[in-house]
Amino acid sequence: MGLAPAGLAVAVMASSGCKSHDAAPAAWPDAGAAACATKSDPGPAPLRRLTRFELARTLADTLGADPTVVDLLPPDERSSDGFDNNAAAYSVSTVHVQGWLELAETVAGELVAAPSRLATLAGCDPVADETCRPRFVRALGQRLFRRALADDEAASYLALAAAAGADDPAAGTSAVIASMLQAADFLYRPETGASVDTSPQAVSDDELATRLSYLLVGTAPDMTLLAAAAAGQLGTDEGLLAEADRLLATPRAAEAFTHFIEEWWELADLPSAQKDTQLFRTWSSDMPAELAGETRAFLHDLWQSEPTLGALLSSPRSFVDTRLASFYGDPAPATTGLQAVTRDPQRYAGLLTQGAFLATHAKANQTSPVLRGKFVRARLLCAPPPPPPADKVIVAPTVDPRLPTRERFSQHASDPFCAGCHKLMDPIGFAFEHFDAVGRWRDDDASQPVDARGELSGTDVDAAIDGVPALATRLLASKQVRDCVATQWFRWAFARRESSADDTCAIGQLSEALQASQGNLRSLIRATVSTATFRLHRASERAPVPGSGDQGGGS
Amino acid sequence: MNRPLVTSRRRWLRGALGALPVPWLASWPGSAARAATPFPTRFVVMFSPNGTIAPQWTPRGTETDFTLPAILAPLAPHQEDVVVIAGVDQRGAGGDGHQVGMGGMLTGQSLNTGTFAGVGAPPAGWAAGPSVDQRIASVLGTSTPFRSLELGVQVGAADNWGRMCYRASDQPLVPEDDPAKVYAHVFADLHADPAALAKQRARRQSILDSVLESYTRASRRLDAADRQRLDAHVTAVRELELRLTRAPVPPTDVCRDPALPAPSSDDNDAFAQIGATQIDLLVMALACDITRVASLQWSRSVSQTRFTWLGIPDAHHDLSHHGDDDASAQDKLTRINAWYAQQLATLIAKLKAIPEGDGTMLDHTLILWCNELAKGNVHSRIDAPYVLAGRAGGGLRTGRFLTYDGDVPHNNLLLALVNAMGIPDTSFGKREWCTGPLPGLL
Repeated sequence: MGLAPAGLAVAVMASSGCKSHDAAPAAWPDAGAAACATKSDPGPAPLRRLTRFELARTLADTLGADPTVVDLLPPDERSSDGFDNNAAAYSVSTVHVQGWLELAETVAGELVAAPSRLATLAGCDPVADETCRPRFVRALGQRLFRRALADDEAASYLALAAAAGADDPAAGTSAVIASMLQAADFLYRPETGASVDTSPQAVSDDELATRLSYLLVGTAPDMTLLAAAAAGQLGTDEGLLAEADRLLATPRAAEAFTHFIEEWWELADLPSAQKDTQLFRTWSSDMPAELAGETRAFLHDLWQSEPTLGALLSSPRSFVDTRLASFYGDPAPATTGLQAVTRDPQRYAGLLTQGAFLATHAKANQTSPVLRGKFVRARLLCAPPPPPPADKVIVAPTVDPRLPTRERFSQHASDPFCAGCHKLMDPIGFAFEHFDAVGRWRDDDASQPVDARGELSGTDVDAAIDGVPALATRLLASKQVRDCVATQWFRWAFARRESSADDTCAIGQLSEALQASQGNLRSLIRATVSTATFRLHRASERAPVPGSGDQGGGS
Repeated sequence: MNRPLVTSRRRWLRGALGALPVPWLASWPGSAARAATPFPTRFVVMFSPNGTIAPQWTPRGTETDFTLPAILAPLAPHQEDVVVIAGVDQRGAGGDGHQVGMGGMLTGQSLNTGTFAGVGAPPAGWAAGPSVDQRIASVLGTSTPFRSLELGVQVGAADNWGRMCYRASDQPLVPEDDPAKVYAHVFADLHADPAALAKQRARRQSILDSVLESYTRASRRLDAADRQRLDAHVTAVRELELRLTRAPVPPTDVCRDPALPAPSSDDNDAFAQIGATQIDLLVMALACDITRVASLQWSRSVSQTRFTWLGIPDAHHDLSHHGDDDASAQDKLTRINAWYAQQLATLIAKLKAIPEGDGTMLDHTLILWCNELAKGNVHSRIDAPYVLAGRAGGGLRTGRFLTYDGDVPHNNLLLALVNAMGIPDTSFGKREWCTGPLPGLL
């Protein structure tokens, strides 16, 4: 009662126009390096917190800890930009701090119980040797806080060691480790240089090392990088890029790249993907992990060879083990483990045709041209379709399960209420119709030959398409897609939405780097290091409203 | 705010504990009954998602003589212990239908702007104020080891579709959906050696004191916006410290160390078993007086749970968008909602099985069962389905079916619940939505 009549079956949209809430323009203005040169505002740099991904690697790399200890923590908040690191989205509750407490105690306890590992930090044993403790506190602080400790900090941790270790020196050492692991300086990435000044200034050498390391390798700066920072080598372009190139050649860079792609492609939902096992008898609860393994192997291989956007969207190569081969109908690999397989390029096109993507962008019992089309628009074209008005959702018509999927969606095209927006999504999604809800190729749908014809419209590469490879070819010819990839990377790299002309300018620089390298994603990543956004910092003028800059026209 | 983040933990604790006496309790409805019994009153929320099927939910009959249709039928054995409330509209603003429902359901607030883009709305953030359980916990939770306990069952991602309890604006509380973790956190002290426990607590306190120093130091170097973030962190650490000061609970006739549960799993078919375990843990946490405020969040808004154990392979949210003319979908949704009613019945039965004074624990408890939507296929929140159970220590007359006409904001219901727990507030949630306690309830 009140508000609006209940049971409203079909609401009427005031306008058949299709206006997006997303502020991202269809294509970014050409913003070359020259245009950016006079601008140097880095935009806001909200306080970053280590994500579970980063924390696991940081603990493993600095202390030799078991990375799975982060399972003690609740999941990271995920903004609708899809990334686990959005600084405006995270929250803290007692469940979080309880998790960090237990994590810290676990890691500290294991470290103190392993004297050889403990001794590598300061070159001496802080439990047995009292004179080692000051050195240990400073060495541990350097690794965990990614900077040298101030004298009063060191004194405070030594006092804790003494108090907590009065009866048992191991307990004192353990307390110091556990305290540092919960400190603001470890769990967060506070940048001190710009606490009051709202004009842009360079971040400190230590902070630059931290930014560089988490950006490129998703972990704490290693000793070499810390030493380079201490020696002032990051102050020059050559010095900074030399360290960037060193880091990009490490295995950690491949993993960080893979993680970015997984976040960008909305694969975080894969582990909880639900499928109707009566319809899909080859699906079982271990399939999500299998499909994730395939995609990870594909992305690692891509990174090691040439990580181009072209290969990402069109490579027929993938990786299968016996289980995946039987799932997909690929020839069984000759040896155990994941083996490379090259599929028919007329059918398969990179990540777009891998089960990890296809199964997460489908329903439990049928494909979803809407979800797949929406992904392409939102995540590859940065032109997300506008949603139907809130609280005026149309009741889905009863579907006839005997009809092929695309016919079930015919109302989207015939009803003008739906057509305005669905014509932007469904015809892209129809191109995926050869792939069922779990991601396998199919020739027939509901006993009829699959019709995978579709259409790209409202983009800079509008065309009729038939099948995913044709879609990929069009997307790879699109400047809009290139700018969008740069935009997604920007949001990931800086843990926030773009919000100013300066941000647009930085994204333009990134997009140019992508173009100049024939779509090489490593070049895109490397170019980030040269942006003002990466090098500079300023205090925000006011408390930022989370998500400000996102506000499009409301309906 | 320039005050130091950490003054003295002990001074802060004194302040918090100093707020204990609540002299006005004596003058509030139901408070006489409560004051006369040595038993604590408790508040419990149970959430189930994706709306209901009104014709199968709404009782038929009068306030005191009514029959329960299919969805509520599992509550029939407890009909004298429940209040069914029809005709209350769930207010909210910001975000899509599910978001606004989930965030506003217990807070009576809109959503702040934020980064979670819903279907049909600009991006929205977390809710703009505390939830009703947290308002109640601010009074009932000052002496128990846990101020409140948020439990869940496969709650999924950390976003505003999956959070209903809020400590304050922008401070969602994470429901713990792993029974093994609940056990470790909540019941560990029950079987700990007292000397070892005291030692562990002392050690944790000295470490957390040291941790808080780092937040004070870091805060000095940050701008105001970042300082606010660390402030929220400090608040949570202090609450953890507070737990360390509360006396461990001694086992009693009714407070027993629960069995060590199996860890959680993402497996859809484990849903019911995880839920059953969480209900057991929740009841025991109340019986042990570890907390007096608790919630149980089944899945999340837009839940895609597949009720295979009912012979329903479809994903719940997908199913909830079928039209009213789809008899098969209506039947499945009815059975899903009835299954949730059965879980409430289980919770009620377990509380009733614990004697307290002349009655049972249920007499001193108030349970709210709610849903983020009323009607799933149109995302409507008009005539939202609310069921109360238990007598709140005397504050609530049960065995009734109440129905309301016109524009009745759910803020009024939430306010009445706060009042039923003996807290004489005059408004709850967004002030302009709340026009006074729901009449006829207390």
